Amino acid sequence: MDRNQITKWLKEPAKMANKYSLHAIYFCTGCGIIEVPPVITARWDAERFGVIPVATPRQANLFLITGYVSVKTLRPIIRTYEQMYEPKYTVGFGSCPINGGMYWDSYNTIKHLDKYIPIDGWIAGCMPRPEAIFIAVTHLWTLIDKGMANGHVRYRENYEFYRRNQEMALGKLDWPPLYQIDSKSEEAKRE
Amino acid sequence: METMVTKVVQIILSPILALVVGVFFLGLARKIMARIHWRYGPPLIQPVIDMIRLFYQKGVSHGAVFDLGIILSLAGSIVVVLFLPFGRICPLSSSGGLLVILYLMLLAPLGMALSGGQAANPNVSIGISRKLILSLGYEVPLLLVLLAVMTRYKTISIVEVVNAQQSTGWSIVSWQLFLSGISYFLILPAILGIRPFDVSSAPQEISSGPAVEYGGKYLALATIEHAFALFIGIALFVNLFLAGATNPVIFFVKMLVVFVLGLFIHAVYPRFRIEQAIKYLWKWPTLLAFVGLIVALITRN
Repeated sequence: MDRNQITKWLKEPAKMANKYSLHAIYFCTGCGIIEVPPVITARWDAERFGVIPVATPRQANLFLITGYVSVKTLRPIIRTYEQMYEPKYTVGFGSCPINGGMYWDSYNTIKHLDKYIPIDGWIAGCMPRPEAIFIAVTHLWTLIDKGMANGHVRYRENYEFYRRNQEMALGKLDWPPLYQIDSKSEEAKRE
Repeated sequence: METMVTKVVQIILSPILALVVGVFFLGLARKIMARIHWRYGPPLIQPVIDMIRLFYQKGVSHGAVFDLGIILSLAGSIVVVLFLPFGRICPLSSSGGLLVILYLMLLAPLGMALSGGQAANPNVSIGISRKLILSLGYEVPLLLVLLAVMTRYKTISIVEVVNAQQSTGWSIVSWQLFLSGISYFLILPAILGIRPFDVSSAPQEISSGPAVEYGGKYLALATIEHAFALFIGIALFVNLFLAGATNPVIFFVKMLVVFVLGLFIHAVYPRFRIEQAIKYLWKWPTLLAFVGLIVALITRN
């Protein structure tokens, strides 16, 4: 740790600790499971960045979604995201969560993941190299520094939008809304 | 008055020292494991960074017992630390002794069980049942080992055990207690909950067991409790078999050596299944501890 970081630590300990302790939960739905193990083990060693995999969403604050998202896996993705504690950051890995990628005309994949949960950063490519995760992490550090990695804030503010999209994709959701939805304003918007 | 003041200072000081040592061990464990894997590894203060982050995160409580159970386990650990001599620092040396430590060591897993049980997650119940079965496994040889030590030195006070060793030499190299010392070292990974005995906190099988519903400040408190548990398991071994120490620095060095030896075991062994762990714990360490107790009984005079 260099010397000018110490003043940053004293000024904003929460922000600095969020930066350097990213406990990741990997949601390897389709592809991407090949790229993640070399990153967390001896070949590329993500632990020197403070990134370690954890087993439960409760302990995590970085959510990495790799590969295509089918309609069926969207449900656990939303449940996992809502169980994480704030502040939490989400990164989409690969082309398919961005715009459908090679599944652009498939009937059972989700084309734009950021309509359903807020995404703080994308890693494009099919598939990206494992090093791309480190580029994403360093970009995420910059975004956290500038206060732009605010996915959880956007989720709270636009929860109606996200919930409506989730219901359109999945039908009726069998869990209560995470945040209070103001029903009057929603009706006004529909009209 | 003088002794009163030093006692109060020691009561405040010794848990803080134990916490610093335990957290240092947590960081060192991650670094050494990384170097064994030929990785660079995280900075040494990574557990502290994690804890700062966790304390700033919002947590969700699952009820009053969920909050109180983890505090009970933390308090239990702190009280055990007060009874353990750390060099010459031992605030409650005149009272208690090994029997009290043996009883109070049960408080930490019990609090965790209460707290985790409130969360009603199936992984928690599996983890807790594994943890209690495992403690059933290592308590038998541990009790035999402690009985052998108490028989050998004719006292239940841990301070007197340390003092006797200062004059007669380390008890693990004396032939009367050699077998008991080996037995304690064999069950040490089970007491610390490291591999091959990390059945209760297995992240790949049961999503890190009792800690599955912990996040935010709950996980930070659980990490602190884990640091205390590391300290207690190793400090007890150093006090009983490596003659303690006359000052905290030498005591710390002895703890460090034992911990790094344990880490090497942790690094190379895969995980036991729970019935394999019980089979192992009730076979070799218990046998050694039993023979050690008989040897200590025969050579008492």
